[in-house]
Amino acid sequence: MSKRDRRLREEIESHLRMAIRDRMERGESAAEAEANSRREFGNQGLVEEVTRDMWSWTWLEQLWSDVRYGLRGMRRNPGFTAVAILALALGIGANSAIFTAVNGILLRPLGYHDPERLVVLLNHGTGPVAPANFADWKAQSRSFDNMGAAELFGPDLTGSDRPEKLSGLRVTADVLPLLGVPPAMGRFFTPEEDQPGRQFEVILSYGLWQRQFGGDENVLGRHIQLDNKTYTVIGVMPAGFQFAPFWATHTELWTPLALGPRVAKRGGNSLRVFARLRSDVTLERAREEFAAITARMERQYPGTNRDQRVVPLKEKVVGQIRPALLTLLCAVGFVLLIACANVAHMLLARSSARAHEVSVRAALGAGRARLIRQFLAESLTLAMLGGALGLLLAYWGVRAMVRFAPSGIPRLETLSLDWRVAGLTLAVSFLTGILFGLAPALQASGQSSAESLKEGGRSNTGGARQRVRGLLVISEFALSLILLIGAGLMLRSFLALQAIDPGFQQDHLLTMILSVGGTQNAAPERAQQFYQSALEHVRAVPGVLSAGMTNHLPVAGDLWGLPFWVDGRPLPHPGEEPDGAFRLALPGYLETMKIPVVRGRSIEARDTATAPGVVVINEYMAQRYWPGEDALGKRITLDNPSSSRVPTWLTVVGIVKNAVRYDWAAPPAEEFFLPYLQHTDAMGHYITLVARTKGDPASLAPAIESGIWQIDRNVTISEVQTMSAVVEGANAEARFNMALLAVFATVATLLSAVGIFGVMSYAATRRRREIGIRLALGARPTEILQLITGEGMLLALCGTAAGIAGALALTRLMAKLLYGVSPVDPLTFIAVPLLLTTVALAACLVPAFRAARTSPVTALRQE
Amino acid sequence: MPRKPPVHPNRIELLQGTLDLLILQTLQWGPRHGYGISQAIRTGSSEILRADTGSLYPALHRLERAKWIAAEWKTSENQQRVKVYRLTAAGKKQLLAERSRWEQLVQAMGGILGHEQA
Repeated sequence: MSKRDRRLREEIESHLRMAIRDRMERGESAAEAEANSRREFGNQGLVEEVTRDMWSWTWLEQLWSDVRYGLRGMRRNPGFTAVAILALALGIGANSAIFTAVNGILLRPLGYHDPERLVVLLNHGTGPVAPANFADWKAQSRSFDNMGAAELFGPDLTGSDRPEKLSGLRVTADVLPLLGVPPAMGRFFTPEEDQPGRQFEVILSYGLWQRQFGGDENVLGRHIQLDNKTYTVIGVMPAGFQFAPFWATHTELWTPLALGPRVAKRGGNSLRVFARLRSDVTLERAREEFAAITARMERQYPGTNRDQRVVPLKEKVVGQIRPALLTLLCAVGFVLLIACANVAHMLLARSSARAHEVSVRAALGAGRARLIRQFLAESLTLAMLGGALGLLLAYWGVRAMVRFAPSGIPRLETLSLDWRVAGLTLAVSFLTGILFGLAPALQASGQSSAESLKEGGRSNTGGARQRVRGLLVISEFALSLILLIGAGLMLRSFLALQAIDPGFQQDHLLTMILSVGGTQNAAPERAQQFYQSALEHVRAVPGVLSAGMTNHLPVAGDLWGLPFWVDGRPLPHPGEEPDGAFRLALPGYLETMKIPVVRGRSIEARDTATAPGVVVINEYMAQRYWPGEDALGKRITLDNPSSSRVPTWLTVVGIVKNAVRYDWAAPPAEEFFLPYLQHTDAMGHYITLVARTKGDPASLAPAIESGIWQIDRNVTISEVQTMSAVVEGANAEARFNMALLAVFATVATLLSAVGIFGVMSYAATRRRREIGIRLALGARPTEILQLITGEGMLLALCGTAAGIAGALALTRLMAKLLYGVSPVDPLTFIAVPLLLTTVALAACLVPAFRAARTSPVTALRQE
Repeated sequence: MPRKPPVHPNRIELLQGTLDLLILQTLQWGPRHGYGISQAIRTGSSEILRADTGSLYPALHRLERAKWIAAEWKTSENQQRVKVYRLTAAGKKQLLAERSRWEQLVQAMGGILGHEQA
């Protein structure tokens, strides 16, 4: 009991004492005086309570008592409470989960020092850069504190128990320091070490240090074998450090780039260039300066400096995923709004049932503000419980997202619920509580108490109340429709992606990467012998129908491009040469992939280093460069004819169907296949094996691997996967987005259906008497059915109209996520509203049938 | 639920809002405690008006919060601590305002009722 409470009791007791004394002075006995005084005073506890209400500082206590009152009410209505909390939890949980993704992926800094000032310098809009360009940019720009370059490096780690192909980067000495994250142990490279011959030093990621070196504290100074060369460990990066944040996201080690004489090369775009903006230079200023530099260089070296860009690192990392995340965020926002509307319905229905209780409280002296607070305390309690459950759902949801999300999403594995998400959930729950609680609170407290008391708690026929409920249903419908249309568009887009003919047959294909970097077969001439004998071994494995090898698989891996020149055509301007994707293939590759040869022949065993140079091109290339002619027998070269040496001409011996090159949904473009044996120097020290199998391809992996290891135990085998899995990976993002949107849209539709069902049931109950009279006066049950259904369908149609308008405005924003379907796809815009209207009809019919079956006698007697 | 108070045939329910005026008016003649105020209203109205304690105490505390009245604890003649209310300067202004509103109401009511009778 607080001091103030004690004071109040003292005040009241002094009142009673004085009353007793007065009565005794008037001659009553002590017992009589006390009994009469107490009777006259009334209920002491109640007086104390209503007096306490006047103390503003007790609002917290009152809130608590309101909350307790609300909880008591919830216990009395467990069904209502469960449904409301579940609806809110779904809405809030979905929001928290998606916000976790937005927070982790879009909002949180990259984990580098001052990440907003880090930029990437790109060539041809998105691509990598030639060494000489990088050197010029670095020498001429003044806008950057520092600039460095990185290049892919995938060495084989040998000399330990577990040979392993690693993902690494070669970096200039500037790159790691400019990120502003110091190593956990050791140091970075010095510029002196960034020279050919001195570059045999390596910095390990925390993960690699733990995995391969058991977290050995004395790892610094240790020697390791990378591609049969000895490197010294000079540093270990801290846990959670990731570089690069895009493109080479699984990098586990860094070695010096040591460009050396390569620095003069204007071809061979292989570098990614990173820089840190000077603190006094804006991005716009840097872009202007950079544009001036590249314009100057374009004049000097035409064709090598087109469309160069300075892009914020964060933009580069998250730019792809942003539209998808924002769409999902929008979707979960809608789900939450629908959940709010639903709970508001339920509270409205309940508040009319409680009109009598409210009147009694008002008559006892509860002010309007007090009643509103009472109602809000209840809705806030509901919202907070919903929020708590929602947080739990979000926790599971995030775990599921991390597990099922496509691997391309940056920093997905770092996602977790944190205090920001918890705080946001709290705020959202609070706002939700106010949002869905305010309308019922205002309505309930606004009604005239005298009227309700007079009605004695009979169902109340507030027109305004019904209008609010109608509006709620309309908005729920509109929101659900927008969501469903969005999901429908994603589905159509996904189906369109699935329907793409990749040009090869993806089933029953097993793929893996064999790397000879750590073996005695690393030299090109030995490697080709190894590859050929490995291929023989694989073909001999029972269950393998055919096998082939290539430098890179379509869809997965990289897209390697080369400029080419067509025989007999005028030389194009430098830099404007046609460019094609090339694949080095061993005989059997095209057959194994089932890329059909349309004309001519495939790459065969006779295409050896000593045989005439040949090339197999795709249909697109044949039509583009030899339109109306037969491309067979024509020649191209990969050597620039304008340079002095005699070009090696390659004769087109075959034309194959267009196949997907890298982007699953990209339109066809130039692609050509070269016999590996004629270009052994163009192959790195690893190759991709593809095998077509009779049965389940994955089950043959162990047999194939052991066959290869029989030849050379030091070969590393990585990325063993089926081609179907590769293709699935390429479409994983579309599938994931579609699945999430579909889940949200389904939840939204269910909630809306429950909403319209609730409103129509309530309306039907409210009109029992009227329906009874109509039936008694001879109305047929079908007319009653029409009456009730018509009312519901009117709401549904208004909602549909609003939803279509909203969807037309909003789906445009998701255009980037769609493939092969317009954001205003007519089929979706017709089918989805029809579907939703059907659901609405079903939700109306149940209460309508119930109303039509009303017996007029009972309906009239009941009131 | 509170017990029903005994029925007083002559009693008139206080009009909403008039209790504040009565309290302020009562305190105009000097500080009083709650019981004193209720007795003053009762005797001042010849036993017709009664301030229900369930209304009186909330009203006192509300007026105190509005700073129209102030309270202090005093020891009564028979050595008991009682809470005594007095009118503040703001309370005096409020009393004047409420009085004039009341007089307007009486006039208006009288006009209508008198007109009907004529």
